[in-house]
Amino acid sequence: MKTPLSRPIALAVVALVLALASSSTPAQEKAPKTDAPDATPFAYAAPAFIKELDTRYPASPPVPPPPRYGGVLQFPATIRTFDPTAGYRPELALVWDTLTEWEATWYFPEVQRTPVIRKTLATSWEMVNPSTWIFKLRQGVRFHNRPPVNGREMTAEDVKYSYELLRDKVQYATRAALIKTIHVVDKYTVKFELAMPDPKFYLNVVDSLSPVIVPREAVEAPGGLAENPIGTGAFMLKEFAPGEGVLLVRNPDYYLKDKDGRALPYLDAVRIFFTKDRATDTALFRARQIDLMRVPTLDVLYALMKTVPDLQLYRVPSFGWGDYGVSLALDKPPFNDVRVRQALSMAINRDVVAEVINRGDATLYGPFPWRLAGYTKRADYSYANLGPNYQYNPKRAKELLAAAGYPSGFETELEWAEFEGWTYNEFVQLVARFWSDVGVRVKLKQLETSTWINKVGGAQPFTQAIAVASPIGAGPSFMDWAYLRFHSSYPRTVNRAGINDPKLDDLLSTWRQDSGDKRPALQRAVWDHLRANVYRITTIVPPHYRITQSYVYAAGNPYCWFPGYCSYEAKTAWMTDKAPTRKFDKFAQ
Amino acid sequence: MRTYIARRVVQGLLVLWLVSFAVFSLVRILPGDAVLMQLDAAAAPTPEQLARARQELGLDRPFLEQYRTWMSGVAHGDLGRSLITRRPVTQELAKRISLTSHLAVMSMMVALLIALPIGVLAAVRQDTPADYVGRLGAILGLSLPDFWLATVVITFLAIWFHWIPPIGFAPIWQDPARNLSQLLIPAVIIGARLAAVSMRMTRSSLLEVLRQDYVVTARAKGARERTVIVRHALKNAFIPVVTIIGQQFSVLLGGTVIVEFIFLQPGVGSLLLDAVLLRDYTIIQGAVLFFAVVIVAMNLLVDLSYSWLDPRIRYR
Repeated sequence: MKTPLSRPIALAVVALVLALASSSTPAQEKAPKTDAPDATPFAYAAPAFIKELDTRYPASPPVPPPPRYGGVLQFPATIRTFDPTAGYRPELALVWDTLTEWEATWYFPEVQRTPVIRKTLATSWEMVNPSTWIFKLRQGVRFHNRPPVNGREMTAEDVKYSYELLRDKVQYATRAALIKTIHVVDKYTVKFELAMPDPKFYLNVVDSLSPVIVPREAVEAPGGLAENPIGTGAFMLKEFAPGEGVLLVRNPDYYLKDKDGRALPYLDAVRIFFTKDRATDTALFRARQIDLMRVPTLDVLYALMKTVPDLQLYRVPSFGWGDYGVSLALDKPPFNDVRVRQALSMAINRDVVAEVINRGDATLYGPFPWRLAGYTKRADYSYANLGPNYQYNPKRAKELLAAAGYPSGFETELEWAEFEGWTYNEFVQLVARFWSDVGVRVKLKQLETSTWINKVGGAQPFTQAIAVASPIGAGPSFMDWAYLRFHSSYPRTVNRAGINDPKLDDLLSTWRQDSGDKRPALQRAVWDHLRANVYRITTIVPPHYRITQSYVYAAGNPYCWFPGYCSYEAKTAWMTDKAPTRKFDKFAQ
Repeated sequence: MRTYIARRVVQGLLVLWLVSFAVFSLVRILPGDAVLMQLDAAAAPTPEQLARARQELGLDRPFLEQYRTWMSGVAHGDLGRSLITRRPVTQELAKRISLTSHLAVMSMMVALLIALPIGVLAAVRQDTPADYVGRLGAILGLSLPDFWLATVVITFLAIWFHWIPPIGFAPIWQDPARNLSQLLIPAVIIGARLAAVSMRMTRSSLLEVLRQDYVVTARAKGARERTVIVRHALKNAFIPVVTIIGQQFSVLLGGTVIVEFIFLQPGVGSLLLDAVLLRDYTIIQGAVLFFAVVIVAMNLLVDLSYSWLDPRIRYR
């Protein structure tokens, strides 16, 4: 029904919606001007912004002021339970220690080259032979002073108990399943007997997926560790609010000290919010309700930097986590033909993928992290080193398809799903477009996220091709990133691509048996073999963006702030007197 | 009336049993399980280790045996333990129900405070500017998705005022000021949509009643317009409105997930969504059973309210 007021009202509504929509994209409106002649309102800022980041935020971190005690650090994460027997999350390392941990994470440039192990509960280790390892424990380490453990000393018996309790749990299986038996040599010495020789076994007890040390009394008390969250860590769990967050307070008896002999941690407390929405995270950061967060894309980073100009940004090339790739059904035609795989890889213009996924702020990615192939600089992860299979060459791709018996291409299905932190939607459309240019007709099939997780995790087969990040390792370990993921003796839940290549198996087995001298050459040979065979199509990996408020510092590990990945660095963080005053009597304050 | 209520209660119990069986069966058809869904991206377990983990959670037992064990617990008030957190489901649900109830009641109050006066005004002053403004507001309320509104509101609150509603739920009887500052904005966002639906229903229902013979008679007898509307028309016009409100209240208990996520106020809806994504069967079963109980109870209450609103309605 038309009324005299209909038109002005409709115009008012349109104007309101447009006003709201335009004001919600400040990145586009307030972009710094670029000199590029072909700059468009959308793509405008990215090159200039990336250049600005390169100059304003170089790789070396800002010089921090002297440490200061006090303050409550707040950050977002998703944790369902604070019980290491029920599920693994890196944040658990705030309460429970592992035998050793990375000094900073392997995500950062210097650590990617020279990982440093921090001696936490173990102070030294010795390889008796590749199947027998002895670890000496730190003396005087006490569990949190809470019943039923009441601050008793941690000993070798606790290490044996914890490893036997946790080594078969799925979340720790990658690292601990190798251990056959554990012996208590004396109160502060444990001996590990391995099922297979491993000259680098000490890397398997460095945090991330290696068993934490728990006291038997707390596990066996009513409610287990969920009700008695007692460890040796820098913080003690004060309150767990399911679905909302967790409050951890300083462990006054923590054993680690900083380089000047001051007791750690500096912070009074840590409050974690269990957020599930990116808009919530950014709003919390802008409102100074959280002090640090991981930023998923350049666009979000841009918007945040315009509204919180004094934030500290840590922008670091990825070691390998978070790439964009496609897994193929290698046991079926046409993907069992190496020429088809090479053609599909060559059909993709990775520079365009980087532009679309993250406005060009991304680097190439190949079979596994560059460092593990023996390269010394991140820039070595280049088209030249990756070779022709990674270079855009649709003409050659068509020739290879024709040689493989597909002169007119073929039809295939590419499965994908929405997954927090990734932009697979754009990625699969791009892949489909590139493949169609060489005659491969792609039907995109969106999956429910949980189903997609099952398929990429190897628990359920995918049909033909599936968009997925490469399986990752829990540290800078070739075992994690390559051996387990490519050796045919492992099931699909480990060797997720289902690779069955006798030559590759031979290389990997030789690597496994080697005492260490020939390993770098063998790793390079594996790299060469994988980039030639393209078992998984990898493209690009965006850098990690981590931002903090201006008043937060993280001791010697300024980069180590990816919530959910190395938040245990809270033990070495401090906040200046500019930080907001926060109470920590209870979670809801 | 008592016979009617007893019959409805028995029917309700039957519905609950069917719901329990349906949800117990359907969640197990979904691909994947709790063991797989909580694995870290870097984890690489073998099938044997996965099988052992499933055994620990009792997922390897026959379907009917699992169902019998669960129902036996339900009959004794024990909904089992979460497969992810290992905490009792009743404990997981309790706090979420409290938050969801607060949010639902507050949203409904906001909705009614907006919808009823505007709906009545729009009906009484049909085709006047007041009516147009009311209808425009209703269309806006229906058109703006609450997730979009919530995102815009939280973003601009943070940018302009460097403030967002506090995190960490406090019941209204413990800390009324904190509770209101937490829930008022989400309640207004959710309530805006409900208000639109209720306002339109109030308006159309009242318009229909105002054309009834007994309203004309009341006016002809010289009753004041306010008396005609409030005493004669409004009560009868409320029957469809109450039906809508009852339905909406049931939906509210589980349908505010996105707003819950955005404002970090985790209620039963977000617990259920999380549980579905993680295949936490026991939480799904407990939460769905809770929703079923609420819906059955709300329907009964709505039906009973009809006889109060219109004395001509009798239940036997």
